[in-house]
Amino acid sequence: MTSPRNDKTPESGSPKELGDLSERLKDLSGRIAVEQSQRTESQKPSASLQGATGYAKGYRLASEFVAGTLVGGLIGYGFDWLFGTLPFGLIVFLLLGFGAGILNMARAANRVPPAQERFGSNPPPKAAYDDEEED
Amino acid sequence: MAQAIDPIHQFQIFDIAGPFHIGGYEISFTNSNLFMGIVVLVVTGILIAASSKAALVPGRLQSIGEMWYQFIENMVKQVLGHEGKKFFPLVFSLFSFVLISNMLGMFPYFFTVTSHVIVTAALAVFVVALVVVVGISKHGLGWFKLFVPHGVPMVILPFISIIEIISFLSRPISLGLRLFGNMLAGHIVLKVFAGFVVVLGSLGFGGVIGAIAPLAMAVALTALEFLVAFLQAFVFAILTCVYLNDALHPSH
Repeated sequence: MTSPRNDKTPESGSPKELGDLSERLKDLSGRIAVEQSQRTESQKPSASLQGATGYAKGYRLASEFVAGTLVGGLIGYGFDWLFGTLPFGLIVFLLLGFGAGILNMARAANRVPPAQERFGSNPPPKAAYDDEEED
Repeated sequence: MAQAIDPIHQFQIFDIAGPFHIGGYEISFTNSNLFMGIVVLVVTGILIAASSKAALVPGRLQSIGEMWYQFIENMVKQVLGHEGKKFFPLVFSLFSFVLISNMLGMFPYFFTVTSHVIVTAALAVFVVALVVVVGISKHGLGWFKLFVPHGVPMVILPFISIIEIISFLSRPISLGLRLFGNMLAGHIVLKVFAGFVVVLGSLGFGGVIGAIAPLAMAVALTALEFLVAFLQAFVFAILTCVYLNDALHPSH
């Protein structure tokens, strides 16, 4: 950034002008590269939407939990309906569904950037997931 | 008056072309069908108009089309990676349909297709069924290892598997219910506040003063509803990607 705007006058010496031009070109490409890397970096986490998706995420967490419990209860009731063991299947599967709802919610919350951890290195994050699920 | 204020009335389905009897079933063309058709026409129309004049420097409409395309393309690329490319048309169609039906629903007197649970549930069940089909066709029966996480002691493995299965089965429900619930609740709340304004406004001067607060609320809620309409379409699309990711890379 050595004041490139000073020699705007085109009548200045041609060899100097040429050297200056290539210098400016190099400077510009360097600046473009920096700008581009900064932009991609800033775009990756934000994606211009991440702020607004907090709202969506909240809705998602709530509905995941409700859906898990609901499905558990439905399966339990269906089990009872099939085998005539009314309270027990409902109790067991409702509890399991509760667990599934919690698991869903934990997944939804953990998996904020869903892609990255899954692509790069599969085994380590998997182990971490499983450990959490067992508790 | 009472009918105009009834907040549920807007979701009523009625026949436009009377019931036809085809193969023993009663099939009729309802207002819901009409608006689904309108949604498809609007999406197609916008995208054709946007891409018809492919200029190097895009105009307004072309910019919208390109942003629309790139938004979904980035989403698919981020979540599904390179082999997810072939699911781009599906995700794009789902997103466009949901988005435009949510947005069209924001017009007064328009019918909101996605405010009926049968529509959203059909979309959600389709997505999850597709996940199962793609998973089995890509990984064979090994795909079912998705439900059997490794590294779990044998004692609790059955419970974990059952929980995983319930968790998987709850996906279509949470996917469909969320979209339906958001649209239904939003429209009802909007209608209730607008109804306050009408009722209070007809009570004379004091009522008009009192109607200011619900009017402000209705205006604010309209803005919120536009946000929700977009966000729900976005969430539906990104969850489709996340679930399809389970079919492509069943890792846990």
